[in-house]
Parts: sequence; C-alpha cells; structure tokens
Amino acid sequence: MHVIETSIATASVLDVLARVDDPEYPGVSIVDLGLVESVDVAGGRVTVGLIPTFLGCPALAIIRADVERALVDAGWPGASAEFLHSPVWTPERITDAGRAALGDGFTVAVQLGERSPPCPRCGVAAVRTTALFGSMRCRSVARCDACGEPLEVIR
Amino acid sequence: MGRSWGSMGDFDEFVAGGGIVEPVDDLPHEYRDAVFRFIELHANSELMGGLTERDWIPRAPGLRRKMAVLAKTQDEIGHAHLLYMVAADMGVKSRSEMLEDLFAGRGRFHNVFHYQAVTWADQVAIAYLVDAGALISQQAVFKQCSYGPYRRILKRIIVEEGFHMRHGEEMLLIFAEGTDIQRTMFQAALDRWWWPTLHMFGPPSKPDDVLLRWRIKSETNDALRDKFVQKYATLLMGYGFVPPDPDLHRDAETGRWVTGEIDWEPLKATLANLGPDSARRIGGAAEHWNDTRWVREALETVAERPAA
Repeated sequence: MHVIETSIATASVLDVLARVDDPEYPGVSIVDLGLVESVDVAGGRVTVGLIPTFLGCPALAIIRADVERALVDAGWPGASAEFLHSPVWTPERITDAGRAALGDGFTVAVQLGERSPPCPRCGVAAVRTTALFGSMRCRSVARCDACGEPLEVIR
Repeated sequence: MGRSWGSMGDFDEFVAGGGIVEPVDDLPHEYRDAVFRFIELHANSELMGGLTERDWIPRAPGLRRKMAVLAKTQDEIGHAHLLYMVAADMGVKSRSEMLEDLFAGRGRFHNVFHYQAVTWADQVAIAYLVDAGALISQQAVFKQCSYGPYRRILKRIIVEEGFHMRHGEEMLLIFAEGTDIQRTMFQAALDRWWWPTLHMFGPPSKPDDVLLRWRIKSETNDALRDKFVQKYATLLMGYGFVPPDPDLHRDAETGRWVTGEIDWEPLKATLANLGPDSARRIGGAAEHWNDTRWVREALETVAERPAA
C-alpha cells in the first residue's frame, strides 16, 4: 500500500478502515480485501484512495459511503473516499487474514496464479472451474474434486 | 466415509440435536426427497427471477438503475447455478432433468414469478416487498438448516439478497417522495403485489411438516408471513401507501397487525403453473434455453478438445 503521509494520523485512519467491512462479506474488512490503495491526511482532511475489484461492481457506491461515514464518525469531518483507475486490483492484494476469513466464513476460495487454490472446506488443491462467472463478476463457480463441495472462487 | 443412522428415529434425533448432514452421508430417502424438492424450488425460482429481472435491464430508468438491475440479474443466475449444483448432488434428479421439467411446465417456482410486472413501479414493489419477503424466509432457513451444502451457499445468497433489498428501499423512497403520478403508480403496483407477496410464504404449515422436523425451516409459514406483515404494513402506511386489504387492522390489545382472510386460490393456481402469466414466463424461459443451445454446445466442444 502506498501511504502518502506516514504519521499517527494515517495509522489511526487505517485503524478505522480496518473495521469497515466489505458489504459482500460481513466480517471481512476492505483492508483485508486489498481495496485500500492510499491514505492522504492533509491539513486535517482525509482522502482515501480505493480500488475496485472490477469497475462494474454494484457495491462501489455503498463501499464509498461506508468508508466516508466510518471516518466522519471517528472524528474526521469532511473525509472523502474515491475510486482510483489504477492500479488494477488482483487477488494477490487479499491479505492472509482476508483469505482465511473468506474461506471460513463464506466457503469462497482465492485464486492466486494458475494453480488450484486450496478448497476452503477440505484444504485439497483440486478446485475445478465449472463456470467463469458466478453471482458476482469477480467470482467464478467451481467444484472441489476432493470433497465435492460447490464453491465460488475470487479471481 | 459418510455417516449412517440405524433408524429414522436415530436420524430425527441427530437432526433435532443440531446435527448437520452432508451429501456423502447415508440419508433417509424421505429426507433426500423433501430437501431436494425444496432446493429445486429455490433454484428454479432464482432462474425464473433472474430472467424476469433481465427483461428490465433495457427499460430501467438511468444508467445507475440499469447497473443495479444488471447486477441483480447476475446474482440470481449465479444463485441458480450454485443451487442446481447442490440440488443435483442429492441424487434425485440431474440438472438437465430439473431444467427440462421446468421448461416443460412440470417444475415449480415461486408464485410471484407467475405474474406480470406491468410498469417500473412493479419492479420497485418486487424489489421492496418480494425481495424482503424472500430474505425473511431465507434467513429463517439459514438459522437452522440441517443440510450442510445448502446452509453454506445460503450464507452468501443472503448477503446478496440484502443488497437487493437496499436497492428496493432506495427506489421506494424515490416513489414515496415523488410526484402524484409516481405515488399513484406505486400504489397501483402495491395493489397488484401485496397478496402475492403474502402467498409467497406458503399456505399455513401442517403440524407434521417434515421441513420443520428436519430443520430446513425454522419457523412456520404463518409465523414468517406475520413477521413480514408487522414490518411492512407499518412501513407502507408510514409512506402513505395502503395495502389492498380492507380488513387489515391493528389488534386493539396487542397492537399487532391482523390481515383479512387470505384467499389461497391464486396460490394454488400458480403452484399448478396456471397463474396469470405462467404460460408466457415458462414459454419465454424455454425459448431462451433453446436460443442459447449453441453456446452450450460450443463450450462443450471446447472442453472436449485436448489441450494444445
């Protein structure tokens, strides 16, 4: 993450953001999903740069509003969040904690590179894609060939 | 690998004690059949709902709404896809058998998709009322659900349905705070959708309903319907809209809403695929399935070709 001003203020903003959940995955924060790209604290005004998992994501307006509300509530009046056009989000940006929470909480696997991700249910890396798009355009539908579980994979 | 139970009594006891069962277990065929029928109905309803939603992408007012309707369509089709996988895994019918039954008019799907959405306000009423009702039902299933794969998928479905509800609330506010024409339009849509939404929870549950016994449902149909009425009668009246039920009133003692008598005939007609719009809906879905056959065939050809 590119942090423009490293200071106590930035750290406390990140603290607030770590408690903002992604609306798709209650319990998984936008920081763990790698959506936070920059935090700028200039003259007491906070600007957060976010990147979308994909541009047409229907949750963008909600995420932005949730971030702004959380920061205002935490004592940063006039805080704003914006979606940046670069860099492009990739699943590598999801933290280990985020991957674990997606697997345990939502049976969602995360695809890194070409190899099969471990199945969130049985742990075996035998996840086979059955459809490129699931209910979200950032997720495919798959099946674990080891335990048989129907899964979704973030890719 | 899977577990087995000596008798139905043992199985009942396991499930009643909070046990979660998996497809590899040696499940009693009565359980398999009942849970399969329930998930098949859910899968069919997501598919039919998605197709209905899709019709409104070009007609939705403005780019933001089009995006929301597009995302909602994607959600419903994605849910159907997963649910058909879970249903097929129960070994009662294959996915293609379920789809063939649906398109031949032998399948079942929720009553609300047997009616026509006449105006955009109908879509708003559907998003505001039907999606909220569906969410209440699904949350009740998720709370107790004894069938593992369904339970895990419901968790994601419920979060996404929550989005649809937010979308519905946002659109309702536009109509509620809108012009006289908008308010009249929404009231007309409410007149069309109120009773079908109450029907959607199903007829009063029988005391020996196996879905309650096996913890697929956690509450009776009447209890869920009542939950919906208590919340939405108040909200709608608050916005100045009136449900089309002259007998709807608050009980003097409890303060709770009491509806007039519910006519179950329209629900029975939809369950027999003889609702007002059933033939057109089913025919349209079948036509869509046939029109896209070439895509499935092309994908199968690619899948069968050895990798270069």
